[in-house]
Amino acid sequence: MKSRTAYLYLLPVLIGFVVFTLGPVLASFYLSFTHYEIGAKPVFIGLGNYRELLQSHLFWQVTGQTFYYALLYVPASVAASLGLALLLEKKIRGLVFFRTVYFLPVVTSMVAAAIIWGWLYNGDIGLLNYLLSIIGISGPKWLQDPKWALPAIAIMSVWKNAGYNMMIFLAGLANIPNDYHEAARLDGASAWERFRKITLPLLSPVMFFVLVITTIGAFQVFEQTYVMTNGGPGTSTLTLSYYIWQTAFEFFNLGSSSALSYLFFLIVLLFTALQFRARKRWVYQA
Amino acid sequence: MKNTAVKRSFRFSLVTRYALLVILAVIMLVPFLWMIVTSLQSPETLVRFPPQFIPRSPRWSNYSEVFDEMPIGTFFFNSVKISVLGTIGELMAASLAAFAFARMQFRGKKIIFGLLLATMMIPFQVTMVPVFIIMRWLGWLDSHASLIVPHFFGGAFASGAFGIFLLRQFFESIPRELEDASRIDGASRFRFFTTILLPLSKPALAVLALFVFMGIWNDLLTPVLFLSTENKMPLTFGLAVLETVQHNFRYDLLMAGTLISVVPILIFYMIAQRWVTDAFLRTGVKG
Repeated sequence: MKSRTAYLYLLPVLIGFVVFTLGPVLASFYLSFTHYEIGAKPVFIGLGNYRELLQSHLFWQVTGQTFYYALLYVPASVAASLGLALLLEKKIRGLVFFRTVYFLPVVTSMVAAAIIWGWLYNGDIGLLNYLLSIIGISGPKWLQDPKWALPAIAIMSVWKNAGYNMMIFLAGLANIPNDYHEAARLDGASAWERFRKITLPLLSPVMFFVLVITTIGAFQVFEQTYVMTNGGPGTSTLTLSYYIWQTAFEFFNLGSSSALSYLFFLIVLLFTALQFRARKRWVYQA
Repeated sequence: MKNTAVKRSFRFSLVTRYALLVILAVIMLVPFLWMIVTSLQSPETLVRFPPQFIPRSPRWSNYSEVFDEMPIGTFFFNSVKISVLGTIGELMAASLAAFAFARMQFRGKKIIFGLLLATMMIPFQVTMVPVFIIMRWLGWLDSHASLIVPHFFGGAFASGAFGIFLLRQFFESIPRELEDASRIDGASRFRFFTTILLPLSKPALAVLALFVFMGIWNDLLTPVLFLSTENKMPLTFGLAVLETVQHNFRYDLLMAGTLISVVPILIFYMIAQRWVTDAFLRTGVKG
């Protein structure tokens, strides 16, 4: 009887879970073994999609580019967020102002950010290259340059997202008892020593969490490429997430796109698992 | 002697700290300022290099012209409609579920809660195609129903779990005696939920509303996935189409449109920034 009332309260969310998550996860698994175009019946082809993907040059190129993007973005993003948080850790005048400003890009839509930065990155008349020219650097064509397009997207994303992890770091820093710092200071420890020996170890669980969610986010990069480059120039900014989209909604190959999405899921899980395994090595446990 | 040295190093570190804070604030703000500056350029001054930093004769007419160039009023209205209704739906679904998790004992409680949290791990790419097929089957493609209705069931792409988690924590912090007292007075459980628990939870609901609203307002993926007609698009989609389809679209007007899309959310955030910070500190992760 009691269970029944509880399930009544849960009903909307449970329906949503079955219809929009559990069902689709299973359906997409089945579809990954089929040839399927919208309107037609899916035709079972076994491992055909997977075989084709793993043998295609483009798949490996796109996977490589996804890793490359994560490698550019994750360390820079985590370092930037930690830096911002450390600067704002102490109670200083103007704290709220700076915190608000650093968080502004987070509340702005990725579309707006991508449009603005697309304009900043303009190779001929963009602000960025003008500023660089003042200090004697002739900037690249950024988004039109296959070599620079992906780093440009990474830089923009760091700007856009740094404030989010900054907040998480700030919460973590607030949990470190001030006494530890005081005691170390009395023992003559320098600021750097206190950072290395107290702040970093005690912050490492938060750091771990931030690292995991930032890596997952980096693998999923989509809206930036959708607005700024459409995967181009050529295929130079094509990452797995966008490639899955393209396969489904530009090439209408839904079976292959499902297989891709499962390979993608597998990669994300594998990376998350690896991070959890490495956890013991560097994360401090009280 | 030692005292002054300490003082000096303290002052130095404070100066460096402020210098860094200001430089970083400038980096964060320049793109926004450049958006404003660009939105006031004329087509001639726009392409000038080196750029004009302060438009000598700001073209305010860009802000009316952008309405002729694209149906930005319609985009805006669509964004408001989808975001407001979606937020209401998600708050309803999440608070009902959170109430069950916080206050009731039932079979499978732990498993269901775990499953809901696990959905946050599933990338949208995996469910995207089947969800699209479901919408097509329901006949909701190219209609706002596809963007709004899922929120009444906790969201199409696993956004709902976070809200349930947040509200459950808040509900648990409200003393049980309150519920016992109201039940003794003869109120039903549902009455307690709507007339006592929800009003007491306003701070948590407000924060969640802000996050959900921002999420929907800023979302590009779902509209791109389900919509195709221009007059149904929200701001994000409309602007993205203009940017990608019309490659030579005038950046002055595009920036005016972008600014119009950004301002409401920035105002919301500045009003609510205290609560946002609070939410981060309270749900802060612990190892």
